[in-house]
Amino acid sequence: MSDTPEPLRPASPVRKTAARAARAGVNVIWIVPILALVVTLAIAWTSFRDRGSLIEVEFADATGITPGETTLRFREITVGRVESVRFTADLTRVVVGLRVDQDLASYIDADASFWIVRPQVTAQGVTRLDTVLTGAFIEGYWDSEVGEPAERFVGLDRPPLVRSDQPGTWITLAMESAEGLTEGAPILFRGVAVGRMENVRLDDASDRVLADAFIEAPHDGRLTTASVFWDTSGFRISLGAQGLSFGVNSLSSILQGGIAFDTVVSGGRPVERSHVFTVQPDEDTARNLVFAEEESTRLRVAMVIDDSLRGLARGADVQFQGLRVGQVTDLSVTMSEDETGRPQVRQLVQLSILPSRLGLPEESTAEDALAFLAAAVEDGLRARVASSGFFGTSLMVELVDIPGAAPAAIVTEGQPVPLLPSVEGDLDDFSASAQGFLDRLGSLPIEDLLNSARDMLDSITSIAASQDTRALPGALRAAIEDGRLALADISAITAELRESNSGETLAQVLEEASAAFQAVTDAAADVPEMVERIEAAAAAVEEFGFAAVSTQVEGILADLRAMLGSEDAEQLPRNLSNTLEAATGLLNDLRDGDAAGNLNNALSSASSAADQIAASVQQLPALIQRLQATAARADGVLSSYGTRSAFNNEAVAALRELRRATEAFGSLARLIERNPRAFILGR
Amino acid sequence: MSALPEDRAAPVLTAHRAGLIGCSSCGRVWPVTESHCHRCGAQLVPPDRRGLQAVWAWLIAGMIAYIPANLFPMMRTQTFAGLAGNSEATIVGGIIELMHYGSYDIAIIVFVASLVVPIGKFIAIAWLAIVAGRPATVEQAHTRLKVYEVVEFIGRWSMIDVFVVAILSALVQLGFVASIHPGPAAVCFALSVAFTMLSAQSFDARLIWRGLPLRSRST
Repeated sequence: MSDTPEPLRPASPVRKTAARAARAGVNVIWIVPILALVVTLAIAWTSFRDRGSLIEVEFADATGITPGETTLRFREITVGRVESVRFTADLTRVVVGLRVDQDLASYIDADASFWIVRPQVTAQGVTRLDTVLTGAFIEGYWDSEVGEPAERFVGLDRPPLVRSDQPGTWITLAMESAEGLTEGAPILFRGVAVGRMENVRLDDASDRVLADAFIEAPHDGRLTTASVFWDTSGFRISLGAQGLSFGVNSLSSILQGGIAFDTVVSGGRPVERSHVFTVQPDEDTARNLVFAEEESTRLRVAMVIDDSLRGLARGADVQFQGLRVGQVTDLSVTMSEDETGRPQVRQLVQLSILPSRLGLPEESTAEDALAFLAAAVEDGLRARVASSGFFGTSLMVELVDIPGAAPAAIVTEGQPVPLLPSVEGDLDDFSASAQGFLDRLGSLPIEDLLNSARDMLDSITSIAASQDTRALPGALRAAIEDGRLALADISAITAELRESNSGETLAQVLEEASAAFQAVTDAAADVPEMVERIEAAAAAVEEFGFAAVSTQVEGILADLRAMLGSEDAEQLPRNLSNTLEAATGLLNDLRDGDAAGNLNNALSSASSAADQIAASVQQLPALIQRLQATAARADGVLSSYGTRSAFNNEAVAALRELRRATEAFGSLARLIERNPRAFILGR
Repeated sequence: MSALPEDRAAPVLTAHRAGLIGCSSCGRVWPVTESHCHRCGAQLVPPDRRGLQAVWAWLIAGMIAYIPANLFPMMRTQTFAGLAGNSEATIVGGIIELMHYGSYDIAIIVFVASLVVPIGKFIAIAWLAIVAGRPATVEQAHTRLKVYEVVEFIGRWSMIDVFVVAILSALVQLGFVASIHPGPAAVCFALSVAFTMLSAQSFDARLIWRGLPLRSRST
């Protein structure tokens, strides 16, 4: 090893390598790091370029916003991300730094609006429930026009109800109070939601409430300056002349309120942005009013009246020839001096009149209307208070022509508003008429009527309680029995009649009726015979003294009984009943049947039958008189005979029966006489 | 030979000194006159510092790739289809997050595997590339060799981060509930590791021993 030192020398190539390498040039392998560098730099440059621009949005608070996670969305697409959240200098608000995608950043100009989307529970439902899972995000909205990029924005407190580029019309609604109305309440047109209401605020100038409303296209075309708006919030109950009415629109309208509009009158102009509409309290008012025209065109007048204003309310109608032309806007009192110079309190009624309702052209102004009224006043037009409504309890103002009224004119000097001449009110008021009605009621002879009724009832009671009434004659009872039988027969006959239902039946019936009347006549014919016998008996009583009288009276009584029990007498009511029933059945048949001719025939036959009956009944009074005479005579006989014997009693009872039978005949006869047709027709 | 120190000062017999050349492929030594390894057929190349150019090139490429690997998110976690949020974590961010959760052990593993090892490798290779061929004592040579072996050994484990991301993105694909996707940093990291391994491979370990004789002669 020692003799060969060369290998031990330092390796010269190693030391020369660097220089040689330098001479040899750059190795190919260096492309790799250069490539890596280039790629890395390219990536870095790309990511830097795509980093997006930073904007800052101010919010009241940063609920649910997490830097690095909360996204910015535009039309529900993520276009950015929250980078930082910090306070403003005065710590009152929060500034959210947003990194927005570069390609969209140029659109975010001063018009852009931002709001935080969170779940919302409103009367119209639950919205953005998805944000419960995803967490809140910031939504932005901007138009499609590239503008001057802005960097600092103020976020909205709540999502805007209407996107700024949505087609439609913004109008302003003015109302007395926003009770029941909330932000986002729908604007309805015939029940269809066509818009939304927002930004409910108090008017600075007046004490009204203003709200912005957006009517979506194409529904905003239905909106003209003549449109009327009314409040549909909640429900309403009204008690009026039409009764109790209860109206409710929808659950949403109860909770959130709502405003409806309609264009009742044509001729309105298209509305411009922020046109102010007055919201009426309810639909009826709105539709009746049609005060869609501007305030300036209304004619304001006043009238001074002495009458009581009780019942005249603000908003009451002003009618002209029965048409509503305006309303009462205010009621107040005014001091004036009467002729003697004494101060006098009078009522001042302010009226608002719509010129177009007076029949003047559309473009008429208040001055035109005043001129019209002045001319009318010269012709006798006067204002007065009149009662209105069903009960006349409410009042209205009426403009009426009073013929021959004292000349007057509209007073314009020295008055804040022109003063219409007035006359005394036409108060045919309710209280007066009600008093009259009660007076008439009071003057009715109710007491007399009650007395007579009581007397009548007393008489009836006494009659019912009397022995006589209770002791009904057996013959009559039998007759009633017969009557019942007859009724059964009649039913059968009626059934037959119904079955046959023809003109023959009619003839038959009429014949039967004739037969019945013949029977009546016959029965009446029997009566004279009996009367003769009674006469003979009476004569015998007179002639032959007591024993003979006794037997004769007994004979009379037997005769009487026989007569009452005789077939003719029994048959009489039956026949009559038969006839009447048959007639009734016939008439029923006729009624049931279609043939009008038959009916006429039947009616003429019936009237002839009735005439027959009347004729036959003509004979009855004579019979009855005779019967009465007989009875009187027998009475006389019996009174001469004695008062307390059994025979006497019997005779008296018999005579009473006789008299009662006679009276019954009498009443029947009277009835038939009075109205035979009614007797047949059963009416 | 008498001038040589008694024990370790004696020059170590190296292949170069013995007139031999080692095959870089199979390790068999051949006389310097041989141009080809007769065992494996590989070309016999004498150790040359010019080969360090490749080491440096790969190393620089690896270091460049390591920068985006740390700046870009490694993993993109999507929970509830993005509803509950997407979370993107860089390597350092992930480690900090793990520490916040109290998982210090896992944080340490990730820290070692993703930061200590690659950076240590860069330093080690760079140092080896600088000192290779420089005069050294035997102890120094042995230290260099050990460093080289460690770098070689660790090289295969450097991919642990990439493996974790690959396995997680394959396993955690639960559709709606949760899913994990590899971020751009995973690619960069893999490239960085690959470049570093290539760099370590390009390093000719024989250069470690080339500086020995000079030093022993000078002493």
